[in-house]
Amino acid sequence: MIQIATGDARPIFQQIVDGLRLKIATGELGAGTRLPSVRGLAMQLTINPNTVARAYTQLAEEGLIVSQKGVGVFVAERRQRLSDAERRRRLRDATERFVHAVVSLGFSPEEILDHLSEELELLETAHDGESHVRPR
Amino acid sequence: MSDRDDTAYALETRALTKRFGPKLALRHLNLRIERGGVHALVGSNGAGKSTLFRIVLGLLEPSVGESWVLGHPSRELDPQTRGRIGLVTEEHTLPGWMRVGALTTMQRSIYPRWCQATFDEVLGHFRVGADQRVKQLSRGERAGLSLALALAQRPDVLILDEPTLGLDVVAKQAVLECLLFAGERDDCTLVYCSHQMDEIERIADHLTILESGELVSTGSPQDFWDRIGCWTLEGFPVPPVATAVPGLLQWRTVDDVEQIVVFDQGAGFGQWLESQGAIGARSTPIGFDRAVNAFLSRHHVTPEMRRVA
Repeated sequence: MIQIATGDARPIFQQIVDGLRLKIATGELGAGTRLPSVRGLAMQLTINPNTVARAYTQLAEEGLIVSQKGVGVFVAERRQRLSDAERRRRLRDATERFVHAVVSLGFSPEEILDHLSEELELLETAHDGESHVRPR
Repeated sequence: MSDRDDTAYALETRALTKRFGPKLALRHLNLRIERGGVHALVGSNGAGKSTLFRIVLGLLEPSVGESWVLGHPSRELDPQTRGRIGLVTEEHTLPGWMRVGALTTMQRSIYPRWCQATFDEVLGHFRVGADQRVKQLSRGERAGLSLALALAQRPDVLILDEPTLGLDVVAKQAVLECLLFAGERDDCTLVYCSHQMDEIERIADHLTILESGELVSTGSPQDFWDRIGCWTLEGFPVPPVATAVPGLLQWRTVDDVEQIVVFDQGAGFGQWLESQGAIGARSTPIGFDRAVNAFLSRHHVTPEMRRVA
């Protein structure tokens, strides 16, 4: 399903959010796909169930997953997700954070854009391919 | 002092102090471990964790102060309350001459809340047979047996003192799995003492750090982690004296890159570095294990910290 690593600079909770968000964004996990239960995923990863619950809560708040009481947790339909205005606001926030992080690294805007395009293309190919590991 | 509200805290100490000759093992320790969840207790060797457990369980008298388990004073724990407390230590001390089956029968008769299904489930992870003698078991199997015995008594609080020390990866994984998922342990408070930060990152809801018998940090692991900042830089025109670096935990030079780990400085540390003329300074993400280790080793002076003005 997804993998986590201890010792990573991202908390386990964030690794789960990022991992599932990516799989949903690439379509690997399509709308309506049933996700493991909180306890089930916690068992698979040998982590505290509260950590999984926290990650699921965040994904539900983002409109990416829905929890149906007594039935299970599912990937949400696209229309159930964020409003256009909210999506634009988040894009703006994320872009701002990205720009702040890279501005001092000394790359030209072209180099940064090239790198960004490459990453986005990889996401598209990852959808079909078996391996999601970026070639180095 | 009279009994407290049974539901408030799994463990509580007030001004707890223990002196062994000239050495202070615990210094005026005020600790409150709320019921429920996994509480990790971290500290270097000699931080006072084992002394704390022995006093809390009524096995050792404190020099000064008081402690309670599940609201009951440690000095006068009755058998009924003792039955609600589980303990697993790194030695996994069990009678070597007994067979697993006989030991189980004996324990079952002692603990009124014994749950055979939990015992079988936990032991199933470790492939231990009822006819085996305890002394024939490997370290991992012994760990499994002591964990199964502790969880099957369905304690309200389970104290684990480095339960995975010396275990291989498979046994370690099994111990964590059983702790998190075996039986119906939703109400059980786990007090988990370990030097293995990967385990703590996986299982802990709360993190308490002891140092030289004192409480130095307590809260969620994430809150602690957020207080640690790591910065890398190429150097300073004039290196500052270590004592002038605010919140300094660790300062090392790795491959000509200076790496500075600080506590409670936030983004303001970047401005401080700038004011010192630091070259190429940037904030760098740091893993939980490194964050805790930098905090624990902050009194360890590296050559970079030995610089004098």
